[in-house]
Amino acid sequence: MLIEIKDLYKNYVMGELEVPALMDINVQIAKNEYVAIMGPSGSGKSTLMNILGCLDTPTAGQYMFNGVDVSQLDDDALSAMRNREIGFIFQNFNLLPKLTALQNVELPLVYAGANKHERHEKAIQALQKVGLADRMSHKPTELSGGQRQRVAIARALVSKPGILLADEPTGALDSKTGVEIMALFDELQREGNTIIVITHEQEIADYAHRTIFIKDGRIHSDTPNKKRNF
Amino acid sequence: MQYEENIRVALRALIDHKFRSFLTMLGIIFGVASVITMLSIGEGAKREAIAKYQDLGVNNIIIREKKLSDQELEEVRAKFSPGLSLQDASVIKEIVPGVIYTSSQSELSTDVKYTDKSAKSTVIGITPEFVNIMNYKTGQGEFIGEKHYDAALRVCVLGAGVARTLFGSENSIGKMVKIGDQWFEVSGVLQSKTLFTETVGELAARDLNNDIYIPLSTFLNRFTHENMLASQIQQITVQVASSERLVEASTLINGILQRHHFNNEDYNIVIPFELLRQEEKERQIYNFLLGAIAAISLVVGGIGIMNIMLATVMERTREIGIRRAIGARKSDIMSQFVTEAVAISITGGIIGVILGVTLSLSVSLFTDIKTVIPLYSVLVAFGFSVIVGISFGYLPAKNAANLKPIESIRYE
Repeated sequence: MLIEIKDLYKNYVMGELEVPALMDINVQIAKNEYVAIMGPSGSGKSTLMNILGCLDTPTAGQYMFNGVDVSQLDDDALSAMRNREIGFIFQNFNLLPKLTALQNVELPLVYAGANKHERHEKAIQALQKVGLADRMSHKPTELSGGQRQRVAIARALVSKPGILLADEPTGALDSKTGVEIMALFDELQREGNTIIVITHEQEIADYAHRTIFIKDGRIHSDTPNKKRNF
Repeated sequence: MQYEENIRVALRALIDHKFRSFLTMLGIIFGVASVITMLSIGEGAKREAIAKYQDLGVNNIIIREKKLSDQELEEVRAKFSPGLSLQDASVIKEIVPGVIYTSSQSELSTDVKYTDKSAKSTVIGITPEFVNIMNYKTGQGEFIGEKHYDAALRVCVLGAGVARTLFGSENSIGKMVKIGDQWFEVSGVLQSKTLFTETVGELAARDLNNDIYIPLSTFLNRFTHENMLASQIQQITVQVASSERLVEASTLINGILQRHHFNNEDYNIVIPFELLRQEEKERQIYNFLLGAIAAISLVVGGIGIMNIMLATVMERTREIGIRRAIGARKSDIMSQFVTEAVAISITGGIIGVILGVTLSLSVSLFTDIKTVIPLYSVLVAFGFSVIVGISFGYLPAKNAANLKPIESIRYE
């Protein structure tokens, strides 16, 4: 199993109170799976994404990633995990506005300590993969929403991470562009990537092969997607 | 994260906010510029003082006849003081330990003439030891020596100023000049000496280039002071082996002279080295004050940097969140922002150095104050600006590093 979550709890401290955000979460995700995590806002799906993405640590329970107990890692090790194993794709792209597309894509490799030449090569490859080879020297503001999201995907892909973690990846895009992005996800999955999409839209969840539904901090259902199961 | 990348990011941030960066730098710029200017003025004053006292000789004790009115002079003579004399000089040399040379000199203001030109000058009769004590160098010809003194020859060495007035560019060696009513042969011309612009102790400021030197023996034979009661000589210059012995020797000299002059205070003892030391002490206090002012302005500059860096961190919370999400460690963020603060302070430091150097050169150029920029002042000022950048950039950078990635990435 790529991801194994056992009896995971997450509480937030709000002043004097401890508010539970996730309770009793047990999930296993295999390599090359395509999973949608669904739930209404406030259900805890974002908290789960943060934990999956090593941005946050659980209060109790275990999160094993590729055999590594993530809940035991310190801040530097978590940073390294994010750098090497997690490819984040955000709703609002989260590109650095002052950098060109190429520089944005290079950034994870900068923190991985890769040399200039290697960074360049890999970033160009990633941009080619998402079909933006001709927009490399453009700044995000000079790109359309769809193109920006493609740059973000290239950035997520560039360090060949264990999972792609997409948080409402089409939330800021029109429906046509959204469809294109989801098609790109399909392609990436076929090439062997493991993809986890967090969304509250059923249409987006339908692209995945499995849907985990979260409600009030607990897993409500975890079902294979009939439409896509082949 | 690679260092080169940090610098690139820092420089871009600096260039993206040119005006803001410049305003932030102002404190550092003024701080550094003032450190350099102040130190260069201090150094200039120091060099000037050293040069001045070197002219007088750092191991010398100068005993000069006190300027007295005719009435005072009569009184002193009535109390049996013979005034400064050659005998004083020889006693000092005999008795005072550590004395290497003594040189006596007698002086007279008079006119010098060559053909139709004339100049007002001070004729100074000197002993051959004079040349050992003072670092006077002849530009042409030779200085007064034993042979001139022993034979009381009528030879003279002209100061550069007098030589120029009388001879212009003409060669003066071997020519006859008329000093007072006596004819002298020019044996040498001195190199030009810096003007004595300040009064040192009892030594009045004057232009040494207008002096004419002749053997003291000749002087005593051929010239008489207007005032019959005037001392035989006007000055005795004593050189001791080392500056540590100056105070001891001068105390002893004072004792001897008191006895020989029957307790009449008709002379002054000046120790140039002691005066130099005193001036040095005063300058130290002054330098300390200047340093404190400069330090304050650098600290204020640092606070300016800290302020703007805190604002920058706030403004770039989201960027920090993004960088953290894609794998930047706390230390990466930390060094990024420290580098940025240092980039501001170094740039400010460089501009400050340029401004400081320009200022001290202009001070030199447009005022009478001489400035010398010591290399250490540039290094100190620059080093301080780097330290200010690091120390005042540290806190904002730490804030940045400690931002929670989840919260900062959603920061609008």
